[in-house]
Amino acid sequence: MLARVANNLFWMGRYIERAEHVARYMNVNYFASLDAPNELSQSRQFVLQSLLFMADDFSRNDHELNEEQVLYDIALNPDNAFSIINYVKLARENANSARDLISTELYEAINKFYHFVLNYPVEQFQKGGLYDFTVQVTENVSVLRGKIRGTLLHDEVYAIIMLGVNLERATQVIRIINSKFKDAVLAQGSYGDTLKNSYEWTTLLKCAESYDMMRRFYRETPTSFTTLEFLILNPDCPRSVMNSLNQVSLHIRKLTHEKYPQKHTSGFLIGKVRAKYQYKIIEEIEIDLESFIQNILDDLNSIALKLEKEYFHY
Amino acid sequence: MKKTNDNPTFESYNRDPKLFDEIFDENDNVRDIYKTLFNLYSEHSAKDFGRLNNKAKSSFFNQGITFQVYGDHEIKEKIFPFDLFPRIIDAQEWELIEKGVLQRSKALNAFLWDLYHDKNIIKEGIVPLELISSSANYLDQINGFDPPGGIYNHISGTDLIKHSDGKYYVLEDNIRCPSGVSYVICNRTALKRALFGVFNHYQAHTVTDYAENLLQILETVKPKGVDVPNCVVITPGIYNSAYYEHSYLAKAMGVELVEGRDLFVENDFVYMKTISGPQKVDVIYRRIDDQFLDPLEFKPDSALGVPGLMAAYKKGNVCLVNAPGTGVADDKAIYTYMPEIIKYYLDEDPILNNVPTYHCSRPDELEYVLENVHNLVVKPVDEAGGYGISIGNKLSKDEIEEVRKTLKENPRKYIAQPIMSLSVHPTYIEETECFEPRHVDLRTFTLLGADKEFVLKGGLTRVALQKGNLIVNSSQGGGSKDTWVLKNN
Repeated sequence: MLARVANNLFWMGRYIERAEHVARYMNVNYFASLDAPNELSQSRQFVLQSLLFMADDFSRNDHELNEEQVLYDIALNPDNAFSIINYVKLARENANSARDLISTELYEAINKFYHFVLNYPVEQFQKGGLYDFTVQVTENVSVLRGKIRGTLLHDEVYAIIMLGVNLERATQVIRIINSKFKDAVLAQGSYGDTLKNSYEWTTLLKCAESYDMMRRFYRETPTSFTTLEFLILNPDCPRSVMNSLNQVSLHIRKLTHEKYPQKHTSGFLIGKVRAKYQYKIIEEIEIDLESFIQNILDDLNSIALKLEKEYFHY
Repeated sequence: MKKTNDNPTFESYNRDPKLFDEIFDENDNVRDIYKTLFNLYSEHSAKDFGRLNNKAKSSFFNQGITFQVYGDHEIKEKIFPFDLFPRIIDAQEWELIEKGVLQRSKALNAFLWDLYHDKNIIKEGIVPLELISSSANYLDQINGFDPPGGIYNHISGTDLIKHSDGKYYVLEDNIRCPSGVSYVICNRTALKRALFGVFNHYQAHTVTDYAENLLQILETVKPKGVDVPNCVVITPGIYNSAYYEHSYLAKAMGVELVEGRDLFVENDFVYMKTISGPQKVDVIYRRIDDQFLDPLEFKPDSALGVPGLMAAYKKGNVCLVNAPGTGVADDKAIYTYMPEIIKYYLDEDPILNNVPTYHCSRPDELEYVLENVHNLVVKPVDEAGGYGISIGNKLSKDEIEEVRKTLKENPRKYIAQPIMSLSVHPTYIEETECFEPRHVDLRTFTLLGADKEFVLKGGLTRVALQKGNLIVNSSQGGGSKDTWVLKNN
């Protein structure tokens, strides 16, 4: 496979995954806030700031945000680099350059998705289309995941796409955790909640489509402790960071062909990072969640850079 | 002109007796070969066709089978319009076409070999020297070079029309980078999706075997010493109007689709940059014009090609398909010598007719052209895509003067031909929700390899969607039809 095309497929996977997380984060947070149990988390400004923080590292301030503008910027503003419409455009452009390698079924699904987003009426979106739009985006991404898994040859092409998908998933889940953690810190106490029992943990799990399964696993109301353990460390939770790292480690083997990867290779680094989190316990993480989040984002980034250097350098 | 029948979707179908109508004969009866199809289509209402037409359109759009049109401000994504009424060619008629286009492709290949070697046809005065010496498409670089397998025009696209006399005429031989074959396959798919039932009544040849034959052809022209050749398709990139076709062919052949930047040349061998390092490339099906192939030999600012590619080619380490330099023989002026070229190399009479042509470079013929501009089609010899053509009977007085002036200024640049009346075929027109006659042509695809040849049993029937328009090119608003070549019963 061509190095340039591999790079494009890697990013196709990343953009598809990113579009979904941003869409779901918008949907869950916006609608959860409507009947949130405390005043602050019900406030529209609070939610809009959270959305911007997750989508674009926006730092909170006292500046009044315009709801229509924020929602438009994140979803459909083509001039905005972090909008869903741009992610879908880029995913399709990347798919275009690899059209000979992917299945007609996958390409057609991406293309349909692109035209859906491109032609979504902005006015309809701003006047009550938020739910419909974001749900359709997440459903389209599910279709794409199915086409990737079900119609592609599980060879190097598949491995490259899955590396992109899983690295992005881990990154986005961490970003969502970071964002909701900051919300929980701000919103604590206003309804007699401690941080540990904040309503934001439930929202966080829903943002990662993991609420029901978390309830099934722990059989109790989510706390900071159980939520973070589930979303970071539980290898059986399909959205957990650990699961993504396991997937990354599985797919890199398609590219290395070596049982024991040499040092300075991507395979080696991935194994090292994976081992680090495999033997981590939540008690260690909880002490300083903020540093932990920064560390894991750095780790994920270093894997992406290593892959780029080893495979996509052309 | 009179009403042809009482089928509602054919309500506004007015047969023009001056033109050859593909489905109605001179007594307004449906020709035998179309009878079954016509009856089947009569079962559908105008509304059905409107619905099917929309379905076919969205199918093309969703599959991303689109081309880009460059407007003043933005690039628009457009589908190549597809018509629901297929064109049918019976086995006997097809045999003539197949033999004829193969004959032309072989003659052109022999002609190219001669032009780049001994030049006997010029020495013997059959083709004038100035036609070659003044051609921008003659490449001195490959003079005396033997291309692998002795093949220059591996892929030829021959454009044919049916004139009012009911005979086929060749309009053009395209042997640089002829495109359109992917649409042949898409049109078949689209028609099957929309009206699969009609296929039960006709035995049409498949068109999906093109890619495997193309791959076999590419493999026959591998460089010496290579066992299993590594073939690739090179494209100018995703913004090229034929990108869909490039990606389709690469996918269907199971080979890599590369861009110039994916390749490099070292010690006169060509490599592609893969995730596991450089990999040698042996055969390149190039969809880039000669002038962009190699910045060291041609346009120095071209970013589409590969520096050093021509040197590797001339060393015989890589095969380029079609060979560089084929453009000299698909010049519209060379076309007029095709009957002589066929006779000279193959010692055969041309199977397919050539349109009689007047060379403006010859003083007496120029004089005739100047006097008869209103009855002739005047074409520049070196423009593709239907640009720069003037059709005599469509011109105003001032425009005719304009053409005369241009011809006098630059006679070598132009040829003229009688106005051929392209045959018409029923075509679904959205505005009237009816089938109306529209002009069609036919592009066939011929492959030549070392000891292997193949003609795709089918072709691209292009249709001029505007009433009365004779220019069928997609860049000028043409559409296309599925084309059935029937099996012998």
